[in-house]
Amino acid sequence: MDKQLDVLQGTLDMLILKAVSLGPLHGYGILLRIQQISKDRLEIQQGSLYPALYRLEHQGWITSEWGESENNRKAKYYRLTAAGKRRLQSEAEKWNRMAEVIAGILHTTPEEV
Amino acid sequence: MTLLSRFRSWLRAIVRRSRMESEMDTELRFHIEAFAEDLVRSGVPREEALWRARIEFGGVERAKEECRDARGANFLESLIQDLRFGLRMLRKNPGFTSVAVLTLALGIAVNTAVFTAFDALVLRPRPVKDPDSLVAVFRTTPGDARGRFSYPDYVYLRDHSKSFSDLSLFAFGMALTSSDLPPTGPEAISRLAGTVGFQLPQLLPGGAQPIGCYFVSGNYFQMLGAVPLHGRLLLPEDDLLSSPPVAVLSGNFWQRQFHSDPKVVGSILHLNGVAFTIIGVTPVDYMGTLPNVPSLWAPVAGKVQVGGLSAGDLENRLLIAGMPMGRLRHGVSLSDAQAELDVLAAQLRTAHPEDERNAGIALLPGRNDAAVLEPTEWALVAAAMSAVGLLLLIACANVASLLLARAAVRGKETAVRLAIGASRGRLLRQLLTESVLIALFAGAFGLPLAGWLLHLLIVEIASALPSAWGTIALKVSPDIRIFLYALLVSGCAGVAFGLAPALQASKPNVNSALKDESTAFGVRLSRSRLRGALIAGQMAACLVLLISSALLLRGSQRALTLDVGYEPQRVLYLEMYSPANLHYPQARMLQINRDLIHGIAGLPSVRSVAQASRGPIGGIRWVPVAPVDAAASGSTAQGNQTTGAGYSYVTSNYFDTLGIPILRGRVFTPSEAEGQAPVVVISEATARRFWPDEDAIGKRLKIGLEKGTMFFPGQKDPFVPSSEVIGIARDVRSMDLRRIDESYIYLPLSLTRQWTGTLLVRTDGDPRQLLPATGREVHAIDANLPVVGSPLYSMISMDPFFVVSRVGGLLASIVGALGLLLACMGVYGMVSYTVAQRTHEIGIRMALGAHGGQILQLVVREGFRPILGGIVVGILLSAGVSRLMAATLFGLSSLDVVSFFGVSVLLGGIALVATVLPARRATRVDPMVALRYE
Repeated sequence: MDKQLDVLQGTLDMLILKAVSLGPLHGYGILLRIQQISKDRLEIQQGSLYPALYRLEHQGWITSEWGESENNRKAKYYRLTAAGKRRLQSEAEKWNRMAEVIAGILHTTPEEV
Repeated sequence: MTLLSRFRSWLRAIVRRSRMESEMDTELRFHIEAFAEDLVRSGVPREEALWRARIEFGGVERAKEECRDARGANFLESLIQDLRFGLRMLRKNPGFTSVAVLTLALGIAVNTAVFTAFDALVLRPRPVKDPDSLVAVFRTTPGDARGRFSYPDYVYLRDHSKSFSDLSLFAFGMALTSSDLPPTGPEAISRLAGTVGFQLPQLLPGGAQPIGCYFVSGNYFQMLGAVPLHGRLLLPEDDLLSSPPVAVLSGNFWQRQFHSDPKVVGSILHLNGVAFTIIGVTPVDYMGTLPNVPSLWAPVAGKVQVGGLSAGDLENRLLIAGMPMGRLRHGVSLSDAQAELDVLAAQLRTAHPEDERNAGIALLPGRNDAAVLEPTEWALVAAAMSAVGLLLLIACANVASLLLARAAVRGKETAVRLAIGASRGRLLRQLLTESVLIALFAGAFGLPLAGWLLHLLIVEIASALPSAWGTIALKVSPDIRIFLYALLVSGCAGVAFGLAPALQASKPNVNSALKDESTAFGVRLSRSRLRGALIAGQMAACLVLLISSALLLRGSQRALTLDVGYEPQRVLYLEMYSPANLHYPQARMLQINRDLIHGIAGLPSVRSVAQASRGPIGGIRWVPVAPVDAAASGSTAQGNQTTGAGYSYVTSNYFDTLGIPILRGRVFTPSEAEGQAPVVVISEATARRFWPDEDAIGKRLKIGLEKGTMFFPGQKDPFVPSSEVIGIARDVRSMDLRRIDESYIYLPLSLTRQWTGTLLVRTDGDPRQLLPATGREVHAIDANLPVVGSPLYSMISMDPFFVVSRVGGLLASIVGALGLLLACMGVYGMVSYTVAQRTHEIGIRMALGAHGGQILQLVVREGFRPILGGIVVGILLSAGVSRLMAATLFGLSSLDVVSFFGVSVLLGGIALVATVLPARRATRVDPMVALRYE
């Protein structure tokens, strides 16, 4: 699995929510965190990250505040809200169900039909 | 909760715009710099790191834009941006903008004006209490579905029907005020009225003035729930012959004649010399159930009191007294009431088999005049509406083709915007914004224009009517509904004509447009086809309008050339309002009449003065006529020879004065006339009818019935048991301009015994010139005598058929001319655009040896193709339309070659000029310049 996968349509939001659920992060940090926990197997278009962040904040699932970065620079940190937590949960459940179904379909052998 | 937070974030984004922008900037910069630092740490040289970080990040501006979108901050922002950009584009092309805006404004204005007028005249509920429960009641007989009622029939229905809480009656009328009231001044002929040849008989100066009265039953105002401005309104007890005469002034008459003096209530107003007490004043512009405001309202009994009816007339079942209108009792439906009145109609038929045979009763909703309009009237209304609708269609098609051409010109701009990342939706929105802007501007111009048109129309019509007819009190101020209508029309038009070009414009392939490929040979087919269809559609619509107007105008022209059987050109028609109303003794009336004839005959340029109980035009009088000699009828198979004939008592010089030739026999001698000898002159058609194969001279006719029936108030039917036919006069069209009179007889008039109100004066010059001198003569003889006068030819052209044709033709030609102007602008625009677009191709052709003439031919042929198509379609449509019109209007021929051919050639010629002018530019293309253009 050396080839990087593009993030599936619609899953970026879920990944962001997951990333910030582990602790407040700035935008670049979120990118790094996703790459890190996916063991660099996911490729995220950097330009599309921020619109997604703004959208999630607009929907009230994350909030932001200004803070200091590791190298003492001003950075905007995102944090999961209670609503965001619920949202992440339901998204994750939905994803798992979906993955199960798809996997089931793909594993079907001719004898089972 | 989330909604609230979302709203807050949106609000923040909008309100704290600059802060959000700078924060976004900081955030993205931080990202790129942190990324760059990580790259440096991983060994990339510092100067390369930042550059690589930027590349990896992608378009910063695009990301920002998407962030703004995500916040919803962009909606307002981009709207404002679109508007600003749209306004700039419109300002940059003032020619295009003004043409598009004016075109649409015109279409909107005309539509709004016509819609408003129609609404005010027909659709608007009557301005009375609960108009929905009002019901108009008509007496139906075969051939007349909208008949009115006699007084006894009305009383019977009023007293016996249970369906109505009130059943009222109203009738039009005229009364003379004495000359102690200041006259309202001479009637001005309005410009509009003059244009369409609408000239009502003029009241000659001097004399008492006739004023319009509405005679209504005593319960009328109660039924309508009217509230007086001053005093009180009429009550049932006022409507008794024994009650003292009372009248209610209309607010308009009160303002005009009494200068709004409230003390007028209780004072006396003389009508036809009878003292009426003014008991109240209605509010200004109060119309009741009628289309206009009268001068005053009086009870039906008042009509007897002023002498308009005799007391016996109120008992006469054959005498039409007025039109009833009722208010349904609560809970009674129209069909319930209809069922009940059907029973009452049957009772009337049984009780009065002579008078009520075949008569029925029809109820129609009375909330407005829509239900009362007859099918032919609806057809006219629909035609007018379609014509103006067509104009709006032409305007929209025109603007659409303008936009289409422009969208093509802007193809490059569009492609550039698509290339730098504008989404198609965004682009569509921009183009639509521009279209809607045009539509809104057009609406903004169109609304006042519509108000002005309406005002012009109504003020002009109102000023064309004599004040005696009452006041037209239509509200012409643009109200909110009209405004919304204009806005809706302009908005829909904007979206409709904006969408097609916008869709087209946002489609082009970025690459081809950037390379300006559209100027090469491949002219996009679909686009030019759509434009061609638009042009053809406009042409067809114009042609329909113009051919219709030509047919209508040529039809109305026939009024002047129509052979009516006499010579109307040099005859002045004078009508005296019956001095019976002035309560003069008979001898004095006759003396005045003879003095008048003598006086007018003495005026210079007057050839002769004839008198008749009825002139060759106007109200009709019928009398039953039958040949006396039974043997004479033996040759015809008909058993009952009695037939109705039109008649007039005339002086012996009547035939000379009007130029009606006597074909056989002779006219009465003066002594026969004076003595009212039993002699009669009959029309050719009458002679043919009774004695088809014989000479009618010397035969005898029985005229009238022993038991004189009275069809008309104040007019005694003639009765001559046996009258000798002494002459046969040429047939005329006097009762219905569409055909010669089926039977008409002329009886001798005695100037010493009979008073009649109509004078016919033959002059050597223009009869109109004679009016002032005649007025002075009338005034010198009796200052209280009101006389109206009009040339006979203008009375013929006032015939409703001709008026409808003329007004319709005028409107259609105005609308058609506007449409033609618009369509020509469209053609011109399209051809100049094609030439501009094909400069390159033309350059190549010329470089290869084509000369100017060939190029011109090429461009004109292509430009003219849709026009030709439109003309063909237009002719076919017109053929259908004209057939419809000819079926309803008199004097039109449905396949008038002159109209069809002439208008088509004219239209084609104008369109050809509009094609050739811009096409000539193509011949001036310099091949070198054109080829180097890229």
